[in-house]
Amino acid sequence: MSHYHQKMIMLTIFYVFTISQLFSHYLHRKEWNVHNNIILLKGMMEMNQTIYLRLKNRVEVNLHEKICLKDIAWVDAGETIKKQLHSLFLLEIQKKHQRYIVIDIFHVTKKINHLYPELEIETVGPNQAILQLSKKRSSIQPIFILFIWTLLFIGAAMAIMNFHYDVSMQEVQESLHIMLSGSEENRSVLWLQIPYSLGLGVGMIIFFNHVFNKRLNEEPSPLEVEMFNYEQNLQQYLAFHENDLNRPTSDN
Amino acid sequence: MIISFIEIIVGLAAGLAVGSGFVAFLTVLGIIPRLMQLSKTKSYLRFYEWAIILGAWAGVFFSFNDFLIPTPYLIEIYIGLLHGIFVGMLAAALTEVLNVFPILTRRLRMEKYLYAFVLAIVLGKISGSLFQWIIFVNK
Repeated sequence: MSHYHQKMIMLTIFYVFTISQLFSHYLHRKEWNVHNNIILLKGMMEMNQTIYLRLKNRVEVNLHEKICLKDIAWVDAGETIKKQLHSLFLLEIQKKHQRYIVIDIFHVTKKINHLYPELEIETVGPNQAILQLSKKRSSIQPIFILFIWTLLFIGAAMAIMNFHYDVSMQEVQESLHIMLSGSEENRSVLWLQIPYSLGLGVGMIIFFNHVFNKRLNEEPSPLEVEMFNYEQNLQQYLAFHENDLNRPTSDN
Repeated sequence: MIISFIEIIVGLAAGLAVGSGFVAFLTVLGIIPRLMQLSKTKSYLRFYEWAIILGAWAGVFFSFNDFLIPTPYLIEIYIGLLHGIFVGMLAAALTEVLNVFPILTRRLRMEKYLYAFVLAIVLGKISGSLFQWIIFVNK
């Protein structure tokens, strides 16, 4: 049976199916099924369809994993084409690969055009997919975390003490206190300084918008925005430098 | 006569330099925008600008004169607290501008301990300040 005959038989089966769906539409209101079937019919009748491809920004992969198209991209196409494209093999992660691998959309469209020349590809979204190879990392000992914590604690304490000495805060606060206390001689300057010390912590917390993982406000804290910006810069850098299309070559 | 005139010019110029440096420092740290964002009072920007200008003027005025204004304990506590909050915000903004936390946690690969480290710095500053005023300073 030729290809044309096969297609005609499949189309007839689909027509019958659609008409039965139309009947159930009047009985049970299954509009969406009819809609889908009509689109499927259209898809099968035209071979020059457009597929939409959107690369995923960052994907975590493991060693010896075989990367197919569905791992690194979202594909929008007819059902059969989508299944075939999803299982399109791209590369296998080997030992020689470094931590970050960049797959450019150019390689993907080259492969798809090679196998399905009649398809029209529209790309949406990022132009590179960054694959992050998760290497086995040694578990962090609690003693190391304790060390870092005390390091930051003592460091911040010493920094603030040196800052106070640097700006001669003691003198300023004492003269301010004398001005505020007026005639009372035995009022200690600590009435100013202890609220000041507590206010230091409150001010930092207000700025960071976080108390023990609980948000004070629905907006993202500057810390989270900062980390996000750093991640974005890192991804931009990787997408450019780890991309083998951007390396200078002798041939074109 | 000429000397007084020169003194006025020099004073004015020095004040201009210090003042613009002060405002530039506050601007680059983004303290006022952050406070406006938190309190959702973006329309009061002029109000806050004048607060800073009048505050700087008041500071100059009170630091060059010897007044004695007896104030109740509560006012003194309030002034101290607000002073601390402002300096704390400056410190936090500096930490953020220098990108300390993202780089630290990524280098050491301890992203999930980020808030513990923020807490370490906050508590460190509070205890350092308390230690200095209560114990360390020779009275």
